[in-house]
Amino acid sequence: MELSVFQDYGPMLLRGFGVTIFCWLAGTVLGMLLGLLVALAQRYGPRPLRWLLQVYIEVIRGTPFLVQLFVLYYGGPLIGLRLDALPAGLLGLTVYGSPYFAEIFRSGFNAVPIGQIEAARAIGMAEPSIVRRILLPLGLVSALPALVNFSIILTKETVILSIITVPELMYQVQRMSTETFRYLEANLVLALFFWGLVETISRAGRRLETRITRHLIERV
Amino acid sequence: MFSTQTFFDSFGPLFWAARYTLLVSGLGIALGLVIGALVCAAALSRVRALRRFAALWVSFLRGVPLLVQLLLMYYLLPVIGINVPAIAAAVITVGICASAYISEIWRGAIGALPPGQSEAAAAIGMAPRDIWTRIVLPQAVVMSLPALVNELILLVKASSLVSVVGILEVTRASQAQAATTFRPLEVYLAAACIYLLINLCLAGLGRYLEHRMAV
Amino acid sequence: MVQASAVEIRNLDKFYGPFQALKQIDLTIPPGKVTCLIGPSGSGKSTLLRCINFLEEYDAGEVRIDDQLIGYDGPGRKMSARKLRQMRRSIGMVFQQFNLWPHMTALENVAEGLIRVRGLGKADAATRAAEALRKVGLEDKMQNHPARLSGGQQQRVAIARAIAMEPRLMLFDEPTSALDPELVGEVLQVMKTLAGEGMTMAVVTHEMGFAAHVADQVAFMEAGELVAVDSPDAILHNPSDPRISDFLRTYHERNAF
Repeated sequence: MELSVFQDYGPMLLRGFGVTIFCWLAGTVLGMLLGLLVALAQRYGPRPLRWLLQVYIEVIRGTPFLVQLFVLYYGGPLIGLRLDALPAGLLGLTVYGSPYFAEIFRSGFNAVPIGQIEAARAIGMAEPSIVRRILLPLGLVSALPALVNFSIILTKETVILSIITVPELMYQVQRMSTETFRYLEANLVLALFFWGLVETISRAGRRLETRITRHLIERV
Repeated sequence: MFSTQTFFDSFGPLFWAARYTLLVSGLGIALGLVIGALVCAAALSRVRALRRFAALWVSFLRGVPLLVQLLLMYYLLPVIGINVPAIAAAVITVGICASAYISEIWRGAIGALPPGQSEAAAAIGMAPRDIWTRIVLPQAVVMSLPALVNELILLVKASSLVSVVGILEVTRASQAQAATTFRPLEVYLAAACIYLLINLCLAGLGRYLEHRMAV
Repeated sequence: MVQASAVEIRNLDKFYGPFQALKQIDLTIPPGKVTCLIGPSGSGKSTLLRCINFLEEYDAGEVRIDDQLIGYDGPGRKMSARKLRQMRRSIGMVFQQFNLWPHMTALENVAEGLIRVRGLGKADAATRAAEALRKVGLEDKMQNHPARLSGGQQQRVAIARAIAMEPRLMLFDEPTSALDPELVGEVLQVMKTLAGEGMTMAVVTHEMGFAAHVADQVAFMEAGELVAVDSPDAILHNPSDPRISDFLRTYHERNAF
């Protein structure tokens, strides 16, 4: 197998890698924030808003990410939403992830025993304090494994951004492979690269979980 | 202006293309169930090498984006002398990818079974083989049904990616439509509606199964 | 000790859909006294207790704490959340499942309410919390998280969390039911001390010994009805109602093993 081609394309691939990591991190953080807002609004918002958000969740979860990107990137200009590929991809990734994050937060909140909320109510704590001091920290801890898991899924989803020409790693690798005709090698290396990336992130995620939940686990 | 006309006109050709979406995801999950069962058996086997192989299989397929897997398979098959139509390559790739997730679903379902179930069977003297086929597997398979339906929903969405290797399913067909009508917004929204429709039906099936299991 | 409260419960009804959980309950909990609520499970005693601080919303009748109606401003008009919180500050509650917040140390659990509800500074709150923990005998466990405490210790932290708020009334919802038998004593001891200091206490319990020796009055409930309220001696040793004798017989038979 001929791997020297990677040398000439090194800088380009590195840039692509940077864009991939940027999209992943920014998309994950923004998607989580949006998802958290949705989850809180679903818990405390008025009924029509909750109903509307449920529709939002179902629609985004029921359609492929690729089609969402097409609607946003190619359909957006028709309603005056003209975005470059990168911002469109980032917005798409944020929107795409938000309902999954919202559902993760929701079940995290539901996993907080009602008694621990009642205990706060019984001493007269106000609802915003209860959210900030009890619901969020405990809900986040129980949501953590699912949050890590979904963030890893998002790593892989970033390659789809290449289809709307976001210059991330996949895009650069495809460019390289058409210029050098090394389709198989290029994609093989790309596969191995993602395998390593995902494994590394999973490992880090598991370490983070044990760190955070350490004092919550009963000593048996 | 949003053209309602184009939006509704798109449904005809897109519905026709949906048969490929259903074909890829349907055959994909069927293949995934078969391979997934084998991988799950390997993961639970007493042979260390098999367990290692299953772990690698699952970790690789879950670590690599499906889009990369598709291209890899697309370029790999001719090189190793297998010439099959693109649709077959697509189904095989989707199926192999699904097998990793499905084997984990089954492993989880088997693990979630209270140990008392097989202990009770062992206590009345049942043979290990009967414990598996009579006690463990029937319960695990039923328990895993909602998760499998969920996996199928994921595959329907994932099948949009086979558009990049030229399969004329809903996404690819909508790209063609968008190019000829110059109305990408309406056409892609119509495509989204079709996916939504398919997945809402599947989600309904999943809820029905879950409900029946709860009884 | 702050002034102890009295609770007046009049014609209280509570429904869960068509099921009536509380039927026309009338009960007076006198200030500075211990009232034990006993009865078979599902009889409504926990529901009644939870109506006193309005964690459970009652449907008809009234609950008054020192003559102030809780939960409603008038017939059918819910009290504002703010006013309800105000009233809850003087009512301590201890739960069967402790309900300590697992992400905070014992000290932080006790200090949390002092900071968020009473508006104390961190240092002040810590001093007061430490004092409360000393009172329940846990001065050496202040920095432990709940997962590092035994059930009995967790429940004593929960009691400290309640008394740190300087309540005028304490509600105990089966405080020892989730404990291993050998840990029950330490919790009952703390409760007994509290009673000795003149705290008004309402205790849902299955500990007949505690009811017999510490309670000033015992209320017996069955199927959502308040069957009898009397001295511990009258209820436990000379029951007037066959339902009470039946309950006590089952209780003693179980404990005979």
